[in-house]
Formats: sequence, structure tokens, C-alpha cells
Amino acid sequence: MAQYPPRTKTDSLQGSLDLLVLKILSRRPRLHGYAIMAAIADISDEILRAEEGSLYPALHRMEETGWIRAEWIKKESGRRARIYELTAAGKKQLGAEESRWAAISSAINRVLREA
Amino acid sequence: MSLWSRIGNVFRGDKVNREIQEEFEAHMEEAIAAGRDPEEARRAFGSMMQQREKSHTIRVAAWFENFVQDTAYGVRSMLRSKALTAVALLSLALGIGANTAIFSLLDAVLLRSLPVKDPQRLMMLGGKEWDNGISDEYGKTTLYSYPFYRQFQKRNSVFSDTAAIFSMQNNVHGFIGNQIASVPMKVQLISGTYFPTLGVEPAMGRMLTDADDSSEGDHPVAVISDAWWKHAMGKDPAVLGRTLKLGDTIFTIVGVAPAEFFGTSVGEAPDIWVPLSMIQSVPPHFAGYTDNSYESLWIIGRMKPGVTQEQATANTDILFRQILLGETNRKPTQRELNNLNNTHMQLTSMATGISSLRRQFSEPLQLLMGIVALVLLIACTNIANLLLARATARARELAVRQALGARRARIIRQLLTESLILALTGGALGVVFAMAASRLLLRMVSTGPEITPLNLGLNTTVLLFTLGITVATALLFGTIPAFRATRMQLTETLKEGRGMVKGSTKNLLARTMVVLQVALSLVLVVGASLFLRSLINLTNVDTGFNRENVLWLAIDPSSVGYKEDDPRLKTMFQEIEARVSALPGVRAASFSDFVFHEGSWNDWITVPGMPINYDANVRHNVVGNGYFATMQIPLVAGRFIGPQDTANSQHVAVINEYMAKTLFPAGSPIGKSYHMGGSDNPLVQVIGIVKNVKYSDMDERPTFIDYVSYVQRPSGYLGDFTVRYTGDFHAAADAVQKTIHSVDRSLPISFVTTLDKQVALSMTNQRVVAQLSIFFGLLAVFLSCIGIYGLMSYIVSQRTNEIGIRMALGARQSNVRWLVLREIAVMVLIGIAIGVPATLAGGQLVAHMLFGLKDNDPLSIAVAVGVLLAVGLIAGYFPARRASRVDPMVALRYE
Repeated sequence: MAQYPPRTKTDSLQGSLDLLVLKILSRRPRLHGYAIMAAIADISDEILRAEEGSLYPALHRMEETGWIRAEWIKKESGRRARIYELTAAGKKQLGAEESRWAAISSAINRVLREA
Repeated sequence: MSLWSRIGNVFRGDKVNREIQEEFEAHMEEAIAAGRDPEEARRAFGSMMQQREKSHTIRVAAWFENFVQDTAYGVRSMLRSKALTAVALLSLALGIGANTAIFSLLDAVLLRSLPVKDPQRLMMLGGKEWDNGISDEYGKTTLYSYPFYRQFQKRNSVFSDTAAIFSMQNNVHGFIGNQIASVPMKVQLISGTYFPTLGVEPAMGRMLTDADDSSEGDHPVAVISDAWWKHAMGKDPAVLGRTLKLGDTIFTIVGVAPAEFFGTSVGEAPDIWVPLSMIQSVPPHFAGYTDNSYESLWIIGRMKPGVTQEQATANTDILFRQILLGETNRKPTQRELNNLNNTHMQLTSMATGISSLRRQFSEPLQLLMGIVALVLLIACTNIANLLLARATARARELAVRQALGARRARIIRQLLTESLILALTGGALGVVFAMAASRLLLRMVSTGPEITPLNLGLNTTVLLFTLGITVATALLFGTIPAFRATRMQLTETLKEGRGMVKGSTKNLLARTMVVLQVALSLVLVVGASLFLRSLINLTNVDTGFNRENVLWLAIDPSSVGYKEDDPRLKTMFQEIEARVSALPGVRAASFSDFVFHEGSWNDWITVPGMPINYDANVRHNVVGNGYFATMQIPLVAGRFIGPQDTANSQHVAVINEYMAKTLFPAGSPIGKSYHMGGSDNPLVQVIGIVKNVKYSDMDERPTFIDYVSYVQRPSGYLGDFTVRYTGDFHAAADAVQKTIHSVDRSLPISFVTTLDKQVALSMTNQRVVAQLSIFFGLLAVFLSCIGIYGLMSYIVSQRTNEIGIRMALGARQSNVRWLVLREIAVMVLIGIAIGVPATLAGGQLVAHMLFGLKDNDPLSIAVAVGVLLAVGLIAGYFPARRASRVDPMVALRYE
């Protein structure tokens, strides 16, 4: 039986999970937790994988901080689902995180190139 | 998250949980719908419980769970380092215990409210300085006559109830029922309104009422204390109706006071309360029920609702003058009227009762409280240092935990919880220690033949105080290490492992604390030395009499039927003096009114031809012929009182040098006469001048004293009997008591002691301060020793590597030893440099408590500096020696 999705050995998202979640929510507002997790796996071709154990605490933490807000919606199945969307503060934070990431990755690239 | 929503969360807790559960269910459904194996999905969610737990943290209830976890973890980690924990607990137990013990005494003596109804509304007439006794001074605001009390009660408009308390306790030898042997009883005379004013309800029977105080001599009823009911009446449930014989009068017990009620004088719990209407019946048969010049009562009142202290004072002030001036039988002199005009009534809160104990011990207790607070501070710095060292040793553990995602706040909380456990355990041990210590303290401060009746048991105030200081200490010693330990560069710490320690800046805090300890210890050691030397000076004071080999006992003729003016009284005194003086080994024996440290009877005198000095209080003593020989008071001029001075001959007096020089015209006062008091009193002729002696206290200045013969006094009881003996005290005491009983078999002898012991007891105050400040000074030094030793051991172990390199490079053992000792010397010297000015500043606060030396006494400071240097180097020597014995090869391999 194929494992789905294939599990990476290390949590490759250390430190950048917030950035990814914010980014995804900025492009596709009103996603529930599973959809965010699936989106990360999907877009990164299954290379990046957010564990539930990291994702949900991160979502709750960001909600508490005020970067995202949550809302309960009714699904067709009759169950309720909790969906998330970006707040104004979250947009600002995303900008900050993106530029920080850009700075770090370009620095690392420079080192890889020139060392 | 705001506090508000946090509080809200406590109630919404279940809802939050349900929502989290629901969100996961939804997530699961999606995952399974997306083709994920349900089993695997569940396993991936194995951490669901853990998830929930993390979400829990937004609930306040979770705080408790964390606390339990932290506690368990804290206990485990404390048990791992047993030595450290033991040292910390011991320091804390001593520190907190000492604070609790001193505080419980302070609470009992100074702070605790009387166990009566609404004590804050009770006021006492008169100022802060209580007087007791019987006064004939006109217009005094502390002591009042019974007629004054009745007038005041009727005419005042500010007190709902007023009561009078006889300002002295009657120490009677009475009889229970028909028993033949007398029992000492402490009897308190009170107005019938006393218990209703205080709002004290009986434990059994009834309390006294105003009806018991309506006519003199007609109400032989008594209320007894719970303590006395227990130990003297054997908790007899049928005690009501039993009788007590005081003097010639049979009293009926009508009630038992509640257990917590000890009267209104702290530390003087009476056994029996009797209405003032019976004043003449209770030995020693005081008078004054109808005499407005017999001023011997304290007056207390309960303010009416809504009346302020100012209003009460104003009303009382007016009435005070009106009542006194309305007394038709007294003819005040112009001087007395002027005094009355200048006197202002003060009211003093009765909330904490009256206490001579308070006057005596309030200052020493506050001083000791300060001292123990400093000791606790030293203990705190010690523990902070130990925890700091341990936190450094645990740096890796903490770094790993932070790396694993523990938040800093959580780790700080963990460390603070550990501190709190340490402090609470130490506090609990401290309470146990304090219970024993406060009993010891009480014995130390008790000056009488029995232990001062104070309730030092644990009560809410004391426990709250202990809890307060315990938590405060935990925060004090726990906060800095906790913040220090968690403020680290994670990766560095992890990489660095247990290897080299960067620089000495890390130990700066620890070093500062050791310096602080040394400074504080210096203050305490100087204090101890000052108080010790002050006590020695006091002990070596020349009392003017020879305190060695004098037996001192008290008799109570008033309890066995001798009336004050009974001629048999003097005959009995003379008979006893003659028979005891004839005993083998007895040099002299004499009755007297006073001996030493017993209060006084004093008056101004009128010397014909000299202006009257009303401020010159002459203390009178009534003595037998053998008194000067017994006390060995040297004669300066003239002669002693002798057998030639009889009731019918010229009345004579012996005066002391100070009085002779100050109150008499130039030339020898011998042969001159004076009146004790105003010129309406009979003249006495000076026949001799003796050396000055101490009358009340060792540190008193010279005071005017005169001695008159009891043979020439119209009446009066003399309670003190002194005997100069040789040889064994017990043999002498036995022989003397047998001889007294051979004269009158029934005469109660209340205490048998020596003059020397009583002189020592008069210095109780100073002795307690000296002993305790020495004890706490030593404790401080000991704790500092541990501090220095601990820190240096730690530094040496940190620097093992460096020391190894030094030694490999050729450093010799002595160099290494010096390297370590130098650090200690620097810390101790800085501590001393801070401590000396602090001591000089603090010394001014206690300067007035010292006798015969200044607060900046150089010797005391030098001694303290020497002690601290020596102790510091000894404490540091062991780590230094260990450092010097490091094997370079081992050290270099040392991780």
C-alpha cells in the first residue's frame, strides 16, 4: 500500500512554516487546515510536508497573534469545518517574512556560488 | 491574550476543547476522502492528544496541570543533587525559622489585637506612656480615682461603655475552698463594666456586671481565667459556686472567662477577676473606692458608633478638667492648677491592650526583626548562587528543552516552581524550627519567676507572614537565576557543550552576591560585637552594693491576716530579722520596701531654706536596721539607722551622696531636716550619707535615694527580705525559710533567689539582644562561608582546564593557590569596603541602645573585619588547595 503522502524524514519546514501558511492563505483565502497542508505538499511536489502536529499549533498561534482569523462554516456533509483567512496584520507579517526569506536565501545562494 | 478572555476561557474550556476536537474530525474526514489510509491517518494524528494539550495552554486551568508537572519534575531534580538541596533547605529553614520566631514574639507583644469585640473602638485615657501604681500627683492623665471614673462614666457623651482597671495586679496567696495550703493567685480588680465594655462572653457561668460593683464590700464574687480553671481547679465542671478565700473574705466563683481572653495587659494574664467594690477585701487591701485623691485606675471606653477619636478626645479633655475642678474636698495649689491648665488629654487606642512588656521589648524586637531579615537575605543570596551554579550546569538540558520547542516563559516557570518548592519546604521546616525557637525566646525574655504568659502558638497572622516571606524569598533567589539560565544563545550552548566557559563575566553576578553577603555579615558581626561589649560594660557597672552572696526572698503578710497598721507586723519583722541574723553563716538580714529593679516610691522633698525642686524625684526606701550591712552599702558620713531610732524618737533618714550634694545647701546635710513631699508631712532628720547605688537599672544615672526606718513609719507592708550569707546557697535558703516559719508558720514565701540573679535579670533586655545578635552574626558568617566556599569550588571546577594549562606551562602549586585565594581576598575586601560605611550608617540607629561605648567603636569594627577576612580565607582555602592539586594531564583531558 502506497503511503500517502510520502513522508520526509526531517521536518524541512523548520522556521518557515509561518511564511508558507501566510503565503498560501494570501493566494487562496478561506482554506481549512487540511487544505493548507495539502496545498503545501502539492505546490512543492511533495518535497515540503507540514505535519499536523506543527500545522495546527502554528495556526492557533497565528490566530492568537492576530495574523489570521478563523471561522466555522457548514460543509455539504453536514459537518462544520474551520477555515482560515489572512488579516491586515497577517498581510504585513507576510511581507516582512518574505523579504527576510529573500535576504537569507540570496545570501545562502551567494555563499554556495562564491565560496 | 487579555486577562479578561483568559478568565472567560476558564468557563469556555469545554467549548474550546469541543471545537478543537471538531476541527480534527473535519481534518480527518478530508484526509480519508483524499485517499489516505484511515489507520495511518489516525497514527499520524497520534499526537492528537498532544495537540489538544498544546491548545490547552490557552486555558487557565492548564496552569495547574503544568504546575503539577513542574512540581514533580522539580522534586526529581532536587533529589538528584542532594547536598545542594540539603544546604539550601538548611539555610532557608534557619532564615525563615528565625524570622517566624521573632515575628511571632513581635506579633504577640506589639501587633496582635485583644481578643475582644471590635477592639479598634476601644480607647484608653492617657498618653502612650503608661503609669501604674498609686499617684498623689494632681491632674495626671494616666491614673484616676474611682469617684472620677463614676463621674466620667455618667457625664461623657462619646463612650457607649466605660470601665476602670486597677493599674496593678494583686499577687495574693489565697486558699481554694477549705484547703489549708495557700496558692499564689494573680488577682485583677476591675469595674463591673469591664467585661460588658470589652464584649467578652463567659465560657461558663456569667461574667461580672455593673451590679457587682454597686456598693463597697457587698459583692464577693470572682471570675476565673480558663488557664487557671485548668491548672488550679483541675477543669472542674462544677466549678461555679466553689469558693476562694482571699484575705479574710470568701469569694464565690460565678464564671469562667473564655480560653483566648487573657485580660487587657499583654503578658500579665490574671488568674482571677474581682469587682473593684471588693478592693479593701483583697490583700494587700488597697483602698480608694470612695476617695478621689487615691488615683490608681486606668480608664477605658468604647467609642459610640460614629464618634471619631478627635471628638472623643475633645469631650474627654473638657470633662477631665470639669470633674477635677468640681471636687470640693481637694484644694489644689496654684502650681497644681497651672499644671492642670497645661495638661492635654490624650486618648490611646486599646486595640492591642496595655503592656509594660511592649515598652521594654518593642525596640529590641524591631532591631532583631531587622537582623533576622538580613540573615534571610544572606541565605537568599546563597541559594541564588547555588541555583545559578546549577542552572549553568544544566545549561545543556535547558538548551535542549528550548530547542525542542519549550517556550522560555515555560522554562522560567519551571525554574521558579523549583525555587518555590525549595522555599516552601524550607518554610515548612522553618515553622517547625520556629515553634521550638519561640518557646526558647519566651523563656529568654521572661524576667519573672515564671514564664511570661504569652500565646506564641501558630496563628493565621504568623502563618501568613511566614508564607509571605517564603514566597518572597523564592522570588528573590529564584528570579535572577531563572532569567539568567534561559537567556542564552541556544546553538552556542548546544555546540559548546560542557567545555570551556566563556570568561568570568558569567560569574559577575555570583561574585556580586558574595560581596553583598560579606558586607551584610560585617554589619551583623559589628552589631553583635557592639551589643556584647555593651552588655559586658553594663554587667561591670558598679551597683554601689555588693551583689554577691545575698539571698533574696519575698513574703506576703497581707494574705495571712496582717493588716497594714497591725502592730504585730513590725514585731514579726523584727523577730524574723533577729532570728535569721543569729543563724550560723548569716552576716546580716533585713526587710525592705525595695531592693533593686522593683519600681519605686518617689516624691519631691521640701528642705527648709531651699527652693522646692518639683522635678527632683527622690526615691524612698523603707528598711530595717540591718539593710546597709546586708547590701554592704558604704557609709560616707554620719551613721546608719540603728536600734536607737525607735517609733518615739526623732524620725531619721539616711540619704545618698547625690542627694546630699544636690538638694541640700552647701555644707554637710547631717543634722538638717526635710519633709518627704510637701511641708505638711513630718520632718525627718538626716543622720547619715551613703554611697550612690543603682535603684532600678544598671544604666541609670545617679538618682536621689533616701532610706527611712520601718520602725518609724506609721504603717506598711514590706515584701522584700534580704540575707547576707556565707557558704552554700541552698543550705542558707532552707535555714532562712525554716526560721521565718518558726516565727509565723502561715507566712507565704513567694520566691527565693539571689540578688546577683535579679541584677542579671534586670539586664534581660540587653542580654537577649546580645545573645541573639551574636547567634545571628555567627549564622550570617557561616552562611557567607558556605557562599564563598560554594562559589570558589564552582569557579575552580570551571577553570580546571585553564589551571591544567597553567600548571603544564610551569605554574607552581603555590601560584595556583594564590590565584584562587586572591579572588576571594578581592571579594571579601570589596565586601568589607561596602560593609564598613553601611555599618557606620546603621550604627546610628542603635547608638542609644549601647552602654559605655560609641556606635562607631573601632575595636568592634576591627574585630569584625578580622573575623570576615579569616573566615573568608579559610572558606576559600579548600577550593584553592584542590585547584593546586590538579593533575595537568587529567585537567587537560577534562571535558
